[in-house]
Amino acid sequence: MIGIVLVSHSEALANAAMELALQMVHGAQPPIRIAAGAAGGFGTDATAIASAIDDLATTEGVLVITDLGSAILSSSLALEIRSSTYQALISDGPFVEATTAAVVGATAGSSLADVAAEASNALNAKRTQTVTGPGASVPENTDSENPAASAEERLINPMGLHTRPAALLVQTAGEFSADIELTNTTAGRGPVSASSVIGLLSLAASKNDQLRIDANGPDASRAVNAVKRLVIQGFGELS
Amino acid sequence: MPETLTIDALQQWLHRFASEITTQADWLTELDSAIGDADHGTNMVRGTAAVVAKLDGGTTGTVQELLKAVGITLVSTVGGASGSLYGTFFLEMGRNTPSDVQLNGSELENALHAGVNGVIARGHATVGDKTMIDALEPAVTALSQSLADGRQLQGSIADAATAATIGRDSTKPLVARKGRASYLGERSAGHIDPGAASAAILVAALAATIGEGRA
Repeated sequence: MIGIVLVSHSEALANAAMELALQMVHGAQPPIRIAAGAAGGFGTDATAIASAIDDLATTEGVLVITDLGSAILSSSLALEIRSSTYQALISDGPFVEATTAAVVGATAGSSLADVAAEASNALNAKRTQTVTGPGASVPENTDSENPAASAEERLINPMGLHTRPAALLVQTAGEFSADIELTNTTAGRGPVSASSVIGLLSLAASKNDQLRIDANGPDASRAVNAVKRLVIQGFGELS
Repeated sequence: MPETLTIDALQQWLHRFASEITTQADWLTELDSAIGDADHGTNMVRGTAAVVAKLDGGTTGTVQELLKAVGITLVSTVGGASGSLYGTFFLEMGRNTPSDVQLNGSELENALHAGVNGVIARGHATVGDKTMIDALEPAVTALSQSLADGRQLQGSIADAATAATIGRDSTKPLVARKGRASYLGERSAGHIDPGAASAAILVAALAATIGEGRA
């Protein structure tokens, strides 16, 4: 599992973002360190960030997630002055969204490169809903031809496919070797990978939307059934 | 004066930098209150005081080791972008000096250029962005020009300090394009950049130290 370092001007902000993100995962949690504040006030401290990265030495790489301004600058200096040598990347994703995406991705066992991509694209889910942004851009996924198994199911969750069910879906998808994709056929969004919480959110699936599940791989039909069961059961939210 | 800078002279430079920062702390903070978060003076006083404590606390060995220790101390005590940028300046200086207990003129020139280039690379700022680069870049350019013209080290460093002061003052009408002041947009014009002000103090302190060495 990869590790995560949260770099913020405010320790309270970093702690809250971490707590919020950890709501999305159950069971094993990824190792997270916080490097927040400087000299007793707001700010970022490259030496503290370097220590936080070094402290995660047993992980399969580290994603550094930053808030405002000097957080990136201090993090880039930290990568130079740290004593550890394993791979570490600085995310350009928005702080809260990227933290959530990274925690979910790390828990699902994704690689550093994959988690970094998820965190970087973490604004997409918001962009599909906003009316003032520069325009919705739903990630286009390919390779959905010749699915080995597929099914359609109606979404029954009153709140739609929001972050918590999306995170559960990512965890479930991670248990199979098949590539699983979801399409919101009602809204004409997707297909997106079921291993991407951000992709799933970009489906903007509401209650009663029809979801198509496609899987391709050796355990495709088991995977489709597992996802279908989640949808039918309302992701455990309706009991 | 000899055309070399001993490790003692480097330490004197840092002491002088610290005391000048303390003297001008209120002014730096005033500048920062116009376009920033009103803590540049306080932060630099804390950082340079920590450097002085570090120098007074023990042996520093070579110039490389001295500059590295100064850089790390500033990073961990100044805080924020200023800490990372001043830290980078001294770390890069240290990385680009021979392992010795003194620097000759061209070694000092190389080290200062490396320090400034490090700050440029770290902050992605160029001249005209209303940052410390507006003071530092003209300073090292003037230093090289004067040395190339055959001026002594002392006179060349004095030219660098003059260039830094002119560069500092050139930030007044500029609109900030980097750092927190950039969030202010047009409202950042009309004030000297606090980072350029403290950077000019750094160069002036070097000139004063070398000037004193001759007396």
